Parts: sequence; C-alpha cells; structure tokens
Amino acid sequence: MPTMVWGLGLLVLWEAASWYLLQVRQVPLAQSKLPYIHEVLRAFANYGGTLAKEGAVTFGNAGLGFLLGSAAGALLAILMSLSKWVEHLAFPYAVASQMIPILGLAPILYGIVHDEQVARILIAGYITFFPVSINTLRGLRSVEPSALELMYSYAAKSWSIYFKLKLPASLPGLFSGLKIAAPLAVTGAILVELMGARHGVGVIMLRNLYYGPSHTYMFWSTVIVGALLGVLSYLLMSAIERLVAPWQPEFRAKGGDRS
Amino acid sequence: MVTATGFPEIELADIGMHYPSDATEVIALQNVSLNIAKGEFVSLLGPSGCGKTTLLRLMADLIQPTSGSIKVAGKSAKEARLARKYGIVFQNPVLYDWRRVEENITLPLELMGVKKAERKRKAAELLDLVGLQGFGDKYPWQLSGGMQQRVAIARALSMEPEILLMDEPFSALDEFTRERLNEELLSIWSQVKNTVVFVTHSISESIFLSDRVFVLSPHPGRLSSVADIPLPRPRTREMRNSPEFFGLIAQIRGSFEGV
Repeated sequence: MPTMVWGLGLLVLWEAASWYLLQVRQVPLAQSKLPYIHEVLRAFANYGGTLAKEGAVTFGNAGLGFLLGSAAGALLAILMSLSKWVEHLAFPYAVASQMIPILGLAPILYGIVHDEQVARILIAGYITFFPVSINTLRGLRSVEPSALELMYSYAAKSWSIYFKLKLPASLPGLFSGLKIAAPLAVTGAILVELMGARHGVGVIMLRNLYYGPSHTYMFWSTVIVGALLGVLSYLLMSAIERLVAPWQPEFRAKGGDRS
Repeated sequence: MVTATGFPEIELADIGMHYPSDATEVIALQNVSLNIAKGEFVSLLGPSGCGKTTLLRLMADLIQPTSGSIKVAGKSAKEARLARKYGIVFQNPVLYDWRRVEENITLPLELMGVKKAERKRKAAELLDLVGLQGFGDKYPWQLSGGMQQRVAIARALSMEPEILLMDEPFSALDEFTRERLNEELLSIWSQVKNTVVFVTHSISESIFLSDRVFVLSPHPGRLSSVADIPLPRPRTREMRNSPEFFGLIAQIRGSFEGV
C-alpha cells in the first residue's frame, strides 16, 4: 500500500513538473526533457506490439549472452578456487577486462564479428562474466573452516567436499552475481543495438531519437521497455534463486529463527 | 570402575606441540602422555590456553604433533581417521544450512555410499536416540541451539564410531540446557557404549559426565593431574547436590592451585 501511494505520488509530481516546464516556463523542447506520462503511455499502448517484439529480440540475445557469461564466470571461479595458480594467472586479466569501456569495445567487437546477433551476445556475456565470477569465488571461499574439518574427519573425497559442501555454499554468492549481471546484460545488448542492428529495443530507441521531438514519446517508451527488461531479468533471477537455494536467511519465515 | 588398565583405545605418548610464531615459539603442549581405555568416558578439563582442544584435534588428526606419538584404535591418528573410527562434535553444531536435519545426520553415511533407504532408517533411529522425533524434515535454522547440537551428536554417531570426540559441545548453551543435555548425553552413551573424549572448561560438567578427568594447566599446556570419578552410574541430577560431588569439585579445583 505505501508503495502504491509512493508510486502514484511520483507520477502526479512528474505530470505536474512536465506541465510546468511546457506551459508555465515554456522551456524549449520541454517534452523531450520531461514528457507527459500519459502521452508516453499512449505511445506505449499504440506501439505495444512493436515494442514487445523488439524487446523480445533484445531480451533473447541478452539472455543468451548472459547464460554464456554466467557459465564462463562460474567455471572460472571454480578453477580459481581449485588452484591459486589459476587465480594468480586469470584474476588480473579478469579485473583489467572490466576497465575497458563497453562503449569502445562494442564497435570493435562488431567490426570483428560483423554480426549484430553475435556481437550482442558476446557483449552481454562479457558484462555478465565478471560479477558472476567474483561473487561465486567469494561464495566458494565462504565455507567455514569447521565445515571443512567435518568433511576431513569423515575422510571425504575432494569431489564430495566440492559437491556436498563448497558448491551449495557458493550458491548465495553465485546468485548475487547473477542478480547484478542480469540487468547489465540487458543494458549491454541495447548498447550494441545502438551501434547498428536491425532488430531490438536499441534500434527503435535510436531511430526515434533521430526523428526528433515529434517522436519523443516513442523514444521514452523504448527507455521504459529497456528498464522493464532489466527489472524482469532481475526478478527472474530472484525467482530462480528461491527455487534453487531456498534455505538462505533472507527467505526464512519470521519468528522461526534460532532461539 | 573403569581405569586405564583396560584395552587402550587412545594412547598419547610424550606429545609436544609447538606453534612457531615470528617472535617466540608458542608451546601449546609439552610432554603429554595419557591412555584412554575402550568404553571409557573421559574429560579433558582446563582453562583456556591449556591445550585441551589442541589435544582433541590431535586425536582427530585435524592437526599433527610436533613430537610424540598418537595411537587411536590401535592405528595412527591418520589411519584411524581414514577408517572413520571417530565421530566429532564441535563447539558449534556446524550443520549445513541447505540440508534438512535428517540429511545432516546421515551426511557421513552418504559419503560412505550407504543406500538412501538405509540412511532413512538410520536417521529415524538416531532422531529417536537424541530425542528429536519428528524433526527430520526441518531445516537447521528452525531448531533451537540445544536441538542443533543434538543433531550434531546424532550425525557424529551415525557411522557408529568406536570413539566420540566432543570439543566443548555445550559451552555455547545456557546452563539449564547444558545440564539437561549432559543427562541426555549420558543416556545416549549408555545405549551406544563407545569411548568418549569430552573437552570442557566446566569442572562440574566434567565430573558429572566422566569416569576420569584429565586436568590440564596452561603455559605451557601440560597434564597436571588425573582425577577418578567414583560416582556410580547411571548418574542422576540429584548427584550434583551430593557431598561427594562437591568434594570432587573441591579436589579438582585444588589441583589448579598454584597454576
């Protein structure tokens, strides 16, 4: 209920500010700066089909890249946790890779692969890789010494220690990585679309930006779609986390905690 | 009265344990020799820094001594660990969050490759033994601290070890819970009849539980005396108030004088 009131209040405030800029202050290009919500929503409704179709393309590519990036990130985390040597070798490069601006990397990559599809997937994967890897590694390292000693006391084999202790213990880390990475992957895919593609939210976003003030409502609609896709990807990860690792403290019912 | 004249289950001969540190060498244990008979319940008692936990960890092969020899169940400490001769209970329950109580209890059996139906049967039996019938499906966090520690005891007993090593298992619990669990531990032990080595810093706890109490003193950690506890079994709550009990407390406390 408070969220509803808060949201509605924000919308009313937005409408009022928009009206103020346009009618009272008569700022040039007022609607491009702060458009009427109802106009944006109208554009959103009128072109819902197109937006959904292009959004799906973006989401699909981002998703594919996200899966690849997550798999690579988790795998590298496992390798780094198994061997200090791998960690020393790979970690500086993993960090350095994050220093390269995506905005610069995207056109380079596009120039190499010459395929919007592949470029989008690669960039989404590239963005995903690092947060997933770092957080999973931290999860793998989070195992308490006594939990390991217990396994040692049972003369457990290394692979059972991995599968029965370290991997389950790393799931919260893995999922915090995935939740950070999922919306980033969507942003990454849109960014590549802005560089030149035929389909995707980024394409209509750019097109409507070029057409100028007359298309400002449609432009804002595409921004909203981009944001919604990001939120959707996050919620999807949260839902999967609840299914896969429901034993985490934040999912526990209140009052049932240890006494 | 059980004494060390029976078949020795654990033999420590002239154990020395040094931790090299930058400035000085810390001597955790010096010239400790002791024998524990099969089926005996003994306590290692002493203030912090006396090396009682270190001694237990040596028996468990979690650490190795600087000098001296250890025999556990007629083998070296390592062979005994690999042969799963002992079950260990730590100060914290060390339960795996992602496993239900039942799955925590049978973790050692799972590692040994015991079939699921058999594990299920064994879990029911052990839950019964530690008084947690009906809690098998719960997650660890849904249990109180005392119940969690009972799960840890059940887990340690699941592979029917010859020896039960307990490292201050009840020290994190309140006094009432601790006394109740002392009684329950003795009732469990009377059914299981294995050798128990119990580390504690509570004089009354060590007397109530044990056949013999090894008193250790710190700086450097060494064995200062051994007290026979001639109280009859089964031990009852009322014995805690007997003159004999108080006499034993005074006797053991006296052995700390001049430390």
